[in-house]
Amino acid sequence: MHKSWWKIASVILLVYTIVGGFLMDVPRLFILNESIRNLYFHVSMWFAMMILFGVSLVYSIKYLSKQQYKHDIYASAYAGTGTFLGLLGYATGAVWANYTWVTDQGQSLSNILKEPKLLGAGIAILIYCAYFVLRGSFTDMDKKARVTAVYNIFAFVMLFPTIWIIPRLVGSLHPGAPGSDSGNPALNFNDIDSRLRMVFYPAVIGWTLLAVWITTLKIRTRLLADKSLL
Amino acid sequence: MASSKKIIALFRKDLLLEIRQQYTFYGIVLYIACTVYVLFLAINEPDGSTWNALFWVNMLFISINAVAKSFLQESRGRMLYYYSLTSAQEFILAKLLYNILLMLVMSLLSLITFSFFLGGPFLHAVEFVGITILGGISMSLVFTLMAAIASRANQNAAIMVIMGFPVIIPQLLLLIRISKSAFGEIFKEGAVFQMVLLLGGLDVLVLALCMILFPFLWKD
Amino acid sequence: MKKVFATILLLTLNLLLISFSATAQTEQPEMADAMRSNGKIYVVVVICLIILFGLIGYVFRIDRKLTKLEKQQKD
Repeated sequence: MHKSWWKIASVILLVYTIVGGFLMDVPRLFILNESIRNLYFHVSMWFAMMILFGVSLVYSIKYLSKQQYKHDIYASAYAGTGTFLGLLGYATGAVWANYTWVTDQGQSLSNILKEPKLLGAGIAILIYCAYFVLRGSFTDMDKKARVTAVYNIFAFVMLFPTIWIIPRLVGSLHPGAPGSDSGNPALNFNDIDSRLRMVFYPAVIGWTLLAVWITTLKIRTRLLADKSLL
Repeated sequence: MASSKKIIALFRKDLLLEIRQQYTFYGIVLYIACTVYVLFLAINEPDGSTWNALFWVNMLFISINAVAKSFLQESRGRMLYYYSLTSAQEFILAKLLYNILLMLVMSLLSLITFSFFLGGPFLHAVEFVGITILGGISMSLVFTLMAAIASRANQNAAIMVIMGFPVIIPQLLLLIRISKSAFGEIFKEGAVFQMVLLLGGLDVLVLALCMILFPFLWKD
Repeated sequence: MKKVFATILLLTLNLLLISFSATAQTEQPEMADAMRSNGKIYVVVVICLIILFGLIGYVFRIDRKLTKLEKQQKD
């Protein structure tokens, strides 16, 4: 078991996330109440997703500069796990919003779906779904790797301005968004509570490491299966 | 200097091709006319926000139809021929220029037909023309690269739409937001200018990405 | 009898509320304090931990199998 320290770190951090996340003191807030603890689970899904997409981008750039088939496998595997985390984040967000925004703030569903963070997240998931559709449309492997790497880079670079622009276009209810009057501390790092931070950062690292672990498993099976090609 | 000459030559070739084979051009014109006419029959004199929404949906589909042609008509042998003559950057620049011109014509045409059939509920007409031109340019830029990618994926037009939609959403939202100012909605001072600047910045970003990424699509 | 009981209950509740608001300056958001005080929260923690360990154990087993396969391929 060489170089497995980060797997152990992931397990320890996740145990800490669950124990600390449920038992440690959190700020008492209206509307969110006890559900602020979702921050350690729901929000860290998004953070882990963005990190994995970033890794996928790096491997796409590497592929274009070095033309090694290995890097294409890496890029697609990281994008796949990232998309999965994004779907988990979307699903958990839907449940959370249903019990805080809809019932307690009386927001309509269409208002919620126009949320800037939801729009950004939806666009991100759509982009990577398109990435996989594109991958499926090729028969030539070299061409597939090259063209999808180009799309991956383009889509990622367009994604970041999107996340930055959209909040200017539509008002936001999301906690931590500039101009939201709910004053809930999440994502806005200027006023995130230090008690939340104690668990939140380890949680992000822990979930990201777990996702990376799963991705490496996927990569290794692919490398085994394609041994003859490499 | 030599490269700018080549770009102009490629641009002229596309233009000449369009003039010779007019069916593609008139196909899109007919597309605009049909859409607007159906809208005219369904609703006459819509209010500002409906007009705005219909107009941008129309623009989106026109740009897909117009730009998709630019790479679909190039055969494999002809691409090889270009490859021996020019560099990738020159080729994509010529394509972008041509698509921008095509989209400008199309968007102005659809603006005219829209205001003829559905009326013009905007207060600041000149401003709206400017916004339309800006929108046409940004859409043609994004969809040109998408068409270039799709042309590698077995010339599949559906792929281009799937790839293009999520990427174009932010720009479309921005455009709809800006064009509301032409319908008389009051914005914070400087907010409209800031958004126009943002859109321009996005266009520059897409242009830079085209220049960097197209060479990888080019070689086979 | 019942009425008396109810009034006593109300009074004590009132007293409690008054003393509560005296110590806590403003109205506090409602939290799941009951779960914390009777220790049921530990049940939730244990169950989540069991699920986490189960998942990690599963991932770990796949990891081991893959390592074995990779070694076989090398030989």
